[in-house]
Amino acid sequence: MNLQKPKLSTLCALLLLFVSTPVIAQQGEKKRPGRAILTIPEVSRSEVICFALYTVHDNTLKLTAQLYPLLPSDPKIARLEILKDGKWVEVAKADVIEAGWTAPFRVENWDDTKRYPYRVLHGADAQYEGVIRKNPKDKNEIVVAGFTGNSIHPVHGGDISRQDLIDNVNKVDADVLFFSGDQVYDHNRHYAAWLKFGRDFGEIIKDRPTLCLPDDHDAGQPNLWGESGKVSTLSGAADGGYSQPGVYVQEVERAQTSHFPDPVDPRKVGQGIGVYFTNLNWGNIDFAILEDRKFKTGPAGRVPKQGPRPDHIRNPDYDPASVDVEGAVLLGKRQLDFLDAWAQDWHNAKMKVALSQTIFCGGAHIHGSANGRLHADMDSNGWPQTGRNLALKALRKAFAFHYAGDQHLATIFHHGIDEHRDAIWSFCVPSIANLYLRWWEPLQPGKNREPGSPEYTGDSLDGFDNKVTNYAAANPEKSPAGNVLNTRAAGFGIVRLNTKTREITMECWPRNVDVTDPTAKQYPGWPRTISQFDNFNPPSWGKLGELTFDVDSPVVQLVDSGSGEILYTVRVKGKSFIPAAPKGKTFVIKAGKDAPDAIVANDAAVGGPAQSVTLN
Amino acid sequence: MSEPSQHNYLTTCLRLGAFFCFAGWTWVHYYWEGPYSVLLWHDATYEMAERFGITWDEFVGTGANDGLVQKWIAHLWWPYLICTVLCLTVRKNAWIQMSALVLGSGLLTLLSYAAYVRSQQQLPMFIEHGGQILMPTLLVMALALGPKHRVTVVTAVLAVIMTFAGHGSYAFGLWPTPGRFFGMTTLILGVEYSTAQTLLRTAGILDFLVCIGICVPYLRQPSAMYAIVWGFLTAIARPVSGMSWNLNYWGADQYLHEAVLRAPHFIIPLYLFLLWRQPRSANNTVADLSSADDSATAELDAVTSGRQAVYN
Repeated sequence: MNLQKPKLSTLCALLLLFVSTPVIAQQGEKKRPGRAILTIPEVSRSEVICFALYTVHDNTLKLTAQLYPLLPSDPKIARLEILKDGKWVEVAKADVIEAGWTAPFRVENWDDTKRYPYRVLHGADAQYEGVIRKNPKDKNEIVVAGFTGNSIHPVHGGDISRQDLIDNVNKVDADVLFFSGDQVYDHNRHYAAWLKFGRDFGEIIKDRPTLCLPDDHDAGQPNLWGESGKVSTLSGAADGGYSQPGVYVQEVERAQTSHFPDPVDPRKVGQGIGVYFTNLNWGNIDFAILEDRKFKTGPAGRVPKQGPRPDHIRNPDYDPASVDVEGAVLLGKRQLDFLDAWAQDWHNAKMKVALSQTIFCGGAHIHGSANGRLHADMDSNGWPQTGRNLALKALRKAFAFHYAGDQHLATIFHHGIDEHRDAIWSFCVPSIANLYLRWWEPLQPGKNREPGSPEYTGDSLDGFDNKVTNYAAANPEKSPAGNVLNTRAAGFGIVRLNTKTREITMECWPRNVDVTDPTAKQYPGWPRTISQFDNFNPPSWGKLGELTFDVDSPVVQLVDSGSGEILYTVRVKGKSFIPAAPKGKTFVIKAGKDAPDAIVANDAAVGGPAQSVTLN
Repeated sequence: MSEPSQHNYLTTCLRLGAFFCFAGWTWVHYYWEGPYSVLLWHDATYEMAERFGITWDEFVGTGANDGLVQKWIAHLWWPYLICTVLCLTVRKNAWIQMSALVLGSGLLTLLSYAAYVRSQQQLPMFIEHGGQILMPTLLVMALALGPKHRVTVVTAVLAVIMTFAGHGSYAFGLWPTPGRFFGMTTLILGVEYSTAQTLLRTAGILDFLVCIGICVPYLRQPSAMYAIVWGFLTAIARPVSGMSWNLNYWGADQYLHEAVLRAPHFIIPLYLFLLWRQPRSANNTVADLSSADDSATAELDAVTSGRQAVYN
């Protein structure tokens, strides 16, 4: 019997099956809503300016206008005018940079005591107006609205209007907007997505200082361990470095950060990629703007494999110390040096806030891509532990509060280094539209919980054995969360920094609520108010003798007599201050009106006597 | 070279291609994890599971334990390992083994579909996996029909076209060129972005020319030769650019399989090159894509049948 024809038919049928499966699946795909169609709209020449972002720091205004693509015949210069004494006055011109179509303006000797309407002009017709606010030094409460994770895809609820966010920012009249990262999720078309971001948020961005930190997705990759600008070639980028070419990353950073105050240490990293870490002093709040991805070491090949991906640890019995490998960097020396100087500088500052992409711990246990429980994720700032502790030690020296995002899960943590709760507090805001679900759900109930609080709160260890104390987590629903924003725990954060009481209030709001409505509810666990001084108040410490000053709110510095190490520097509230300090040691206390210039006490110790200090 | 010997090494060539492809993917599934989560984490997937009486906790786990999803993914290296072994053991008329290998092609299709979904439905992502998907099927065809059978040859040509058309679409920039392409070019050749871009665009054009040239009688041999070289270079580019003395195992566990599983990208062109490099007299019964006619087909069938008789 000749079996050739049946065999051939069978093989052909099988081949047809395999080819037709994806084709049919693709047909089905078209019917399924899911992904947004991202395009750059055609605009008239009068609408060619999409939006503008600015900051004012140290009497320098930096404003970046974001343009739609210009035609070859269009002028490549934009102008900036302000309304001064009833007249429009040109204060700067800027060349439009074709790669990304940005026009970065810089105006020195800016008078930040006054509010100025501004307009960006291009050609004969295009005009975009906004307001440069005056520095709100006279306000007791500085409001910072915080956002992260801006999925635009319908499957995440990303197609739902952002008008609720616009309305709420206007209602609370936020002084600063902070977008912590993932403003853009498109890995190849940052420009098109950035324009959409501008169309969505430009209305609130144009009138107030705005800080956007580019995170992994903005840079065009799923995770980012920048390794000082190395080239990444591994799928997932865990080998460290950037997946996209340096010019792409440069364009992203130019669009999102060229309006920041000048970088304090502007040396470029690999592939010609710049740095933007710096500080912004606004309303007597000193914001440290950090890049917690750019210098970080990639884990692939550096740490022992502990899970299905080089950056994921599934094995709960692994030795956390084994991944804290020598040479692994988190913030890097340059940023730590910056933080060291920043922590000691209290000119025009009553409170300090650190802004970065993500928080300094593994802030989730369950990861939402059907991977279930993940013991530890090296994409978080919980790894490397040594780098994490160095960062926290630097930040607590300034009593800095940490405001971040990235996690897709809103949390409040009080971090610990040597003991629980001996370092700073952090607030991770929820996503605008949540691409990827996560849950904070330790297997063991937290210790030292507040009465009536959920079991997931309290003292625990994250997957890297870092000491953390959770106070709130806006966990999404457990079953498939559907396409609704709030079942996916989307939302935004508001932080109120009261320079008079020195209190910090964290608010965490779901989407589509009116935050001024008394019946509107925040996610469980919010709001929470802490003192600025809670950011470095280890439970084991005692109190030195009370200091009473002849000037209001001087700067005080505590130095370990034995090692000479600065424990902390802070502008105290009012005329008296009781310094906290470790027991069993002696300290030199320095103080001054704006800088700790004078030694006011030697060999101060816990339980020591009170003293009056004359600084005038 | 004698006909049996030629058949042997052509089949061996395809056998090796399928073996390396499955071996690479076995490593991925055993040591790392198959990229299926993008397909499994959907309301629709859960709804399907629910129809079989599976609860949410059973499906994805309670958080304290693994669900069906993780358990199944963790065991998926077994079928790949079996297929890897079958690539060495399969013989003509071993229909069960051959069927298993065709199902292995199905597994590779699923993988490619997952990559396609993960790439946000970029068609070239699926197409460029054509060589890998068709590799086990080609082996089965070579055994069942003969390595010179028209269907085998046409399928091999299709596999090359899919691989190079997909790759070319990215390299030329019809779809966004993956950053890794630039990264590997920059690292290996030590060139700047602009040069890397020019090189990639040129490579993209050459990829498309291969797709055409492989179908033209007078161009198919040089096209196949180019495809061998370029397929090999792009496969080893991953370990070459990524491995380092400073990494654990020099990074071999991270990168080596990336080259191994891409073996079909150069082995299928190698098979075609070896097939076509025969002198015309020895090759005149082989499927000629441009000049095949009914008599040639009849002759081909006769040869194939004869070959069966001799080499079963």
